[in-house]
Amino acid sequence: MNESILFQIAFILYVISAILYFSFLFSKKENTAGIGFKFAFVGLLFHTIALILRTIECGHAPFTNMYESLSFLSWASILAYIIIEAKYKILKAGPYFILIVIALMALASSPLMPKEATPLVPALQSYWLWLHVSVTLLGEAFFAMAFITSIMYLRADLREKKNKVVKSSPSSEKLDSISYRCIAIGFPLFTLGGLIFGMIWAYKAWGRYWSWDPKETWSLITWFVFALYLHTRIVMGWKGRLSAYIAAIGFLAALFTYFGVNYLLAGLHSYG
Amino acid sequence: MKSIFNLFTSVKLTIVLLIFFALSSGLGTFIPQQRSPDEYVARFGQLANVLIGLQLTKLYQSLWFIVLLCLLALNIIICTLNRLSPKFKKVFRPRLIIKTKELVALKIMTKLKINKSLDTTKKELKRELSSRHYRIKETEKEKKAFLLARKKILGWFGADVVHLGIIIILVGGIISGLGGFKKNLTFSEGEVLDIPEAGIKLRLDKFETEYYPNSSVKDWKSTLTILKKDKSVLSRVIEVNHPLSYKGFVFYQSSVEWDWTNPSVEIWIKKSKNPSFLRKIKLKVGEKVRLEYENTQIAVLYFFPDFVINERNEITTRSLQPNNPAAFIEGWQADEKILSGWIFARFPDYSRIHSNKETDFSFELKDFKTDQFSVIQVRKDPGANFIWAGCALLMLGLFLAFYWSSREIKVILEEMFGKTEITAGGVASKNKDAFQVEFKKIAANLRRLN
Repeated sequence: MNESILFQIAFILYVISAILYFSFLFSKKENTAGIGFKFAFVGLLFHTIALILRTIECGHAPFTNMYESLSFLSWASILAYIIIEAKYKILKAGPYFILIVIALMALASSPLMPKEATPLVPALQSYWLWLHVSVTLLGEAFFAMAFITSIMYLRADLREKKNKVVKSSPSSEKLDSISYRCIAIGFPLFTLGGLIFGMIWAYKAWGRYWSWDPKETWSLITWFVFALYLHTRIVMGWKGRLSAYIAAIGFLAALFTYFGVNYLLAGLHSYG
Repeated sequence: MKSIFNLFTSVKLTIVLLIFFALSSGLGTFIPQQRSPDEYVARFGQLANVLIGLQLTKLYQSLWFIVLLCLLALNIIICTLNRLSPKFKKVFRPRLIIKTKELVALKIMTKLKINKSLDTTKKELKRELSSRHYRIKETEKEKKAFLLARKKILGWFGADVVHLGIIIILVGGIISGLGGFKKNLTFSEGEVLDIPEAGIKLRLDKFETEYYPNSSVKDWKSTLTILKKDKSVLSRVIEVNHPLSYKGFVFYQSSVEWDWTNPSVEIWIKKSKNPSFLRKIKLKVGEKVRLEYENTQIAVLYFFPDFVINERNEITTRSLQPNNPAAFIEGWQADEKILSGWIFARFPDYSRIHSNKETDFSFELKDFKTDQFSVIQVRKDPGANFIWAGCALLMLGLFLAFYWSSREIKVILEEMFGKTEITAGGVASKNKDAFQVEFKKIAANLRRLN
């Protein structure tokens, strides 16, 4: 068994999970979604082993190129979904969320992503690589979860305004509060991993904790958007639609920090 | 004056500033920063002057950006202080005597009648609350008893601790900006350099570059000795990610520089008609070497680490990094030049040897050696410790704000004909559902007294 086979098995399990979830969306049989959840869970186990093998094979943390980091981000996303689902039972978020994961996995498997493990350049040889990247990506996975529940909120809100009540659909109020809970987990993780661990590592490796490198700047912008979310919500009481829009913008900013900066803007974080 | 102060107490200002700050820092990532004016003109044409005029080309150091940052800092400080003093009063000098209607107005509240005396009921209620780790304050007035039970009161201050952390981080940033010191030192082995700012001298004892099997750089290691009054104080090996700290000064392994004044090269010579023929020669640039058992001499005339042909069709080096090492060689037989041409280490297929005689020599540039300088960056950053303290507070505050749910239960007990009437209300800073469950349990346990 090698890493890429396990990765593909996990990918197939996620696809099966998505098919089950979507059939649940149409058939409304909760049983199907339950099986979908189990497939996602087993997929996560295979994916975990794949990441461990990758670490052993290349001898360093498995997020030093786009393939590895996408694989880890999908893993973190499934983990975030499983945690949220176990706690709040919103099966309806499942299909959309698994779809995001599948998109990430498909991107990782695309031939455009070089898969071979390359030796680490001197600046990346540090245990901070583990701490900085894994905690940040885990935070971003919760932002993704908040994004999905926010979009679902906007739909549910529209439906409720037209007085259409769909049984078995979570209420808009519940979705709004789950979206907030996801940010309550994601925001501290992102602050710790992305900003604080990032500053500590930058100080050790480059001799300065902040250099307005595009990746740093976009992390800060993402942080600001979620700070805006918290202030408008907690101090000014903007719940509902506006909150949902800000949460969605925050996730898009995180996405740009993750992808856009690498492909569009050059800087200190240009490691490939 | 008062209206300006009021403006700064408003969260609306915070929101406007946050949006401005996010947009302007985003803008800075699309305009290359801190380049020469010519570069901007080449890239943006007419627009270049506007960009330079608005200081968008050094946006993060520009006056308006710093003003924006200061406004945000001021806003945070004033908002936090403005909210802090009533909060302090509420938490540390709470009003114990309250009116029933204040409790009735709360979302989480209940009214109970217990068939026991006030004292018994109160004792039981206090026992129940303390078993749930509530801290209780009490008082009595006009035959009424007032209880205030609270736990995890630090949770009320989560956001304030976050704001304090941010302010300390900003202060750290200012201190770094004003009092920071940075210098690049380029050393060769054995060299001693003076660093008067730190009152020390620094000696590079040893420098080595480690390579991976695929010949990419694995690490640079410098053995440094700190000398004070020409006596060695401290000796350490530093590498990337492992700097050396000494009395506030930090020494970083930054990179290497190459000294191309006197390189030597290794060339492998083969013959196409004789596959077993292989000669390896090592020579310096300018040197001529005679091939054993052959009537031929080989000389290296030039060596360029990063070979390029520029716009004026001149051969030169693009940089001092060995990105495309190339050597120009000549071959001589007796006094006659028989061959000459460029050979490339990375691109052997592009090597071109012109010969004016029938020879079947082929040449490969296998290796090159030259002195390397270790580049050490010395920094003093007096703001750094503020940054770490601020970060610690920031995380502590986030934890308190999101996960340290403060709970407060206020109770009025009143005795009526041997029975006790209880009015109770509660507030939680977070996780209100869980608090409601606890509140109901406490009420249910009290009812059991009946």
